[in-house]
Amino acid sequence: MGKHLRIAGAVLVSSTLAIAGCSPSTGGGTGSAGSGTGTVKMVLWPGPEGDAMSKVVAQYNAGKGKSDGVKVEMTLLSRQDTYSKEATLMAAKSSDQDIYFVASYNVGQFAASLDPLSEIDASNYFPVAVDGLKYQGKQYALPLDVSNHFLLYRKDLINALVNDPAQKSAYEGIALKATGEKRDPKPPAQWDWTDYEAMAAYFSAGTNPKSPTQYGTILQTKNLLYNTMVWDDVLWGMGGSWTTPDGKANLATPEAEKAIKVYADIYKNGWTSPDSSQAEFPETQAALKSGKAAFAVQWSAGFAELNDKTKSPDVAGKMAIAPVPGQKTHVHALAVALNKYSTNKAAAKKFLSYLAKPEAMTVYAEAGGIPAMPKVLQQKANVNPAFLMIAQSIDKYGYAEPVFPKAFQAYSKLAEDLSGAWLGTTDANTALKTANEDLQGLLK
Amino acid sequence: MSVQSKAGARSAKWVLGAPLILFSAVFVAVPVFQGIQTSFYALTLQQSSAPFAGLQNYRDLFSSPDFLNAAKFTIGFALTVTTIETILGFALAMLVNRTFPGKKIFFTLLLVPIMVAPALLGVMFRLLLNGDIGLVPALLDKVGLHIALFAPDSIIPLLVVLDIMQWTPFTFLIIYAGLQSFPTDVLEAAQIDGAGRVRTITSVILPIMKPILFAAVFLRLIDAIRTFDVIYVLTAGGPGTKTTTLSIFIYKTAFESGEFGLAAAGSTVIMIVLLPLIPLLVKRIARQQGDLA
Repeated sequence: MGKHLRIAGAVLVSSTLAIAGCSPSTGGGTGSAGSGTGTVKMVLWPGPEGDAMSKVVAQYNAGKGKSDGVKVEMTLLSRQDTYSKEATLMAAKSSDQDIYFVASYNVGQFAASLDPLSEIDASNYFPVAVDGLKYQGKQYALPLDVSNHFLLYRKDLINALVNDPAQKSAYEGIALKATGEKRDPKPPAQWDWTDYEAMAAYFSAGTNPKSPTQYGTILQTKNLLYNTMVWDDVLWGMGGSWTTPDGKANLATPEAEKAIKVYADIYKNGWTSPDSSQAEFPETQAALKSGKAAFAVQWSAGFAELNDKTKSPDVAGKMAIAPVPGQKTHVHALAVALNKYSTNKAAAKKFLSYLAKPEAMTVYAEAGGIPAMPKVLQQKANVNPAFLMIAQSIDKYGYAEPVFPKAFQAYSKLAEDLSGAWLGTTDANTALKTANEDLQGLLK
Repeated sequence: MSVQSKAGARSAKWVLGAPLILFSAVFVAVPVFQGIQTSFYALTLQQSSAPFAGLQNYRDLFSSPDFLNAAKFTIGFALTVTTIETILGFALAMLVNRTFPGKKIFFTLLLVPIMVAPALLGVMFRLLLNGDIGLVPALLDKVGLHIALFAPDSIIPLLVVLDIMQWTPFTFLIIYAGLQSFPTDVLEAAQIDGAGRVRTITSVILPIMKPILFAAVFLRLIDAIRTFDVIYVLTAGGPGTKTTTLSIFIYKTAFESGEFGLAAAGSTVIMIVLLPLIPLLVKRIARQQGDLA
């Protein structure tokens, strides 16, 4: 059975790679196992991370790689299917690739096909990013690119509200009606989730006809695992989490109910576009770029584009960045890991050790990546204005969801169970109860 | 024909058919066999060896509300779109089955949707229908129609409309090809007998076109049951599991959950349901053609 599956899987993935113009080798590298030389094959996905990594690989091959006797070849799979193709390779126990591309949310799932990287120095990284890649106490991957969330907002609109007494008075009335609480307009860095709701109401034309934007915000509520990560900020911000300290599912709680209510209130009251039900990263960017929404919780990667005059002519220069309300941000690392079935591990480890050094990650940052090293982010603030905020925010407000073998499945399952409740179309208590049972089943 | 030439014809049949047989064996029979075999093992990414699970994957599958919901949605969706697409395809084929200026251009434009990769079409729809930057909502707004196309209440009708836009040309093409070989003397006889347009369609064209319509319905139905690309790109099966098709369920089970055994069981069930339809279709067409001859 195992042999047949391995062969079928290898044929399937080899065909896919060949069609994509990335003909795989028959082994992990041209160097023998443990010799520490030869070709190292690595998988990554396209986009900013793949682009930045290609510069790092080129630099390594032209310099340190020569003295190491190692040449790295990188294959970019599709952004949608990288993990599924890797999963097929892993199920087939393939040695075609030496280094896999993984993430905090699936390292537990893939751990059985990876070798621990305990001997590589990980002290330069954010501790939260390193911890998110540990499974059962062992380091299975090295952080490459770090992702977290921010509140991206229109500083022209929010500043005008905060500084104009007439607007302030109108805001107080709308905030009281929307949230049942008396609220003053505050700078975004001081918002909690009630302020977020009140602001969303104020900047929605349906509630405030004088609003300069059609909607206050845009929520990412598509049934998508990445949207669970965004909603988790509300949950953590309310004091909740996925699990109890002893590792049991902990979603049927008042904190989780409150977190659902924030989303459902915003959606049902029309403070976000009705199309948010299918929104994720690109739709959020589109809503902010078009000037239809005043603010949103968005991935850190979105900020630079919104302030780029060529890409966002309507809002560039007007966007600012603040910590997520509730001062909790999900952090995950996109990472590189060593294939347990690689036949060229020693050479692969040489390259992985190189990646763990600030020199390599400086090249990565200069090429558009967001390295998980605070020192590099601070030194390269001139490359991306968000780097300093990322460094501070991850350090102060970052949290990582628990790592377990079925964590990837859990993110998807929670999106599936809760996305209806986020929109207020299914009962929050029932959805949370189902989510809690599903999570408990996956934690086992 | 001599005995020798009969034997030669038989050999030629096998020789000429060999590439297709070989291709089918390698790329169809082997993966199908592996898939069925996998469905009897508890193969997951977390386990390096896959223990034999017997029928457990099938038991899990049929007790899974997610699978049953996906089956329910898929059947409803497939029946709805197939019915509408066949009716529209027939109407279009009748409309185009005559000479008129610009017919070639009209014909070409009609076929464009089936020439575009479904996943790409999904991405295009995602941009075109986006409430903030999409062309379609902007045009609808201009005429006073403020419809949120991706809202939970409108998402299923939207998916049906998009499928109809994409696949009606397919049924049209099959039916149009049938009309091209329609016996004109029968139509002339109906005309001489004084049959009107509606009577000609219901009493002459539809009965004779039955095998073609049957083929269009079955091919489209089988394909609609396997629907994945556009829905996955647009909704990923949500909100909740509202638009999860069987294919999306299987994809998520395999590649998000890493439960290959369970996913293989799902694929096997779909195959078992769909496979008997093929010989039925072939038999039906052959019988109808025999009746006509």
